[in-house]
Amino acid sequence: MPSLPQRKVGIVACSGEEMAEGTVTRLAALKVLEDLRPAETVTICLPLFLAGGEGDRAFAKFYPTIAVDGCEKRCAARATELYSNKPAASLLVDDIIAARGLARPQGMRRLSADAAPLIDALADEIAAEVDRLMDARWSRSEGVVLEAEADAKPAVNSAACACGSGVPVTTVEIDGRAIQIMALEPIMEMAYAQKPGFFGETGFREPPAQLMNTVRLYNTIPDDQEAVYAEAVQTAWQAYCAEKESTRG
Amino acid sequence: MTGQPVENAPIKTVVVPCSGIGKTYGTVTREAAYIVVEELAPETTRIVPLSLLVLGDEDAQAAVRGVPVITLDGCKLACATVNVGEAGGHVAREFTVLDCYRRNKQCKPQGIAELNEGGLALARALAEEVMQAAGELMEADGS
Repeated sequence: MPSLPQRKVGIVACSGEEMAEGTVTRLAALKVLEDLRPAETVTICLPLFLAGGEGDRAFAKFYPTIAVDGCEKRCAARATELYSNKPAASLLVDDIIAARGLARPQGMRRLSADAAPLIDALADEIAAEVDRLMDARWSRSEGVVLEAEADAKPAVNSAACACGSGVPVTTVEIDGRAIQIMALEPIMEMAYAQKPGFFGETGFREPPAQLMNTVRLYNTIPDDQEAVYAEAVQTAWQAYCAEKESTRG
Repeated sequence: MTGQPVENAPIKTVVVPCSGIGKTYGTVTREAAYIVVEELAPETTRIVPLSLLVLGDEDAQAAVRGVPVITLDGCKLACATVNVGEAGGHVAREFTVLDCYRRNKQCKPQGIAELNEGGLALARALAEEVMQAAGELMEADGS
């Protein structure tokens, strides 16, 4: 059975080249990604939002992100919200400096040695936000942390069919209603493997037309439920692509 | 901005690296850009941060208009080139790290936060190619 989408947190660092604080955001984000929380995080390339990185945009729509900025312009936070979704958390280097009484960093290409404690402190703050977000329920549509519910379930969930056939069934929550679609995971896996020819210019936002046609082969969709199923397939497709793109690096 | 010109020496060329954060090639573009604006031509070149262009910052957009822009990209998605174009800038020359690596196979880059020796050498090779291009652009401009 195809593997289930794994939840991760995206880190968007401003990486601003013109100031030392930008380099600090970049190095702190990399420390979290490589050392502190490698299994729970991915980096999202800020310029890719505008350059057409559908995978990065889709990821940030469906998964919580942490924006890390070097100055008050907050490029990372604002661009994430502009092109994708509101970040779940927003960190500013100045706030860390003020809160911990640390020295302001110097240099750009090569940071001064006294910038190391600031990088470590910022990385620790990012890691703490990652932990908080991994424990929280996340609203993909609202881009906010939801209050905990005992029976909380992910919006897209796959399991083997109860009939014992081994065919996976994906359950998608649409407006509080659970839509079950047989064999959706392997169908999406096939579609993704055949990109880009399979879906041409539509990118990750819209599922390819062939995807819905293939879903119909395995599922009986009532005429009056076509739109609901289409929405469910689109939701599952975007989540699937976001996960794939995140693991692609 | 980085590499501000000295008095009476107007900026001739803007350098925009891709800012890629997750891969070695992105770090090479950043290092190469710093070599150009901090070491090789601090009086006539400067970096414009891509994050500001992405956000539509007016000062950053103005900085890439009216002067030749050299973009340095780490992958085929060409974020630097695309974003400068979106901002209304004129991309006079565009470089990719992969092309430069093909011309300098002995410089195998590794590392992201910190480049290995091969990566640093590749960044320097890329910076020298940028300098040559900048010189050609200035010559063509009659500067």
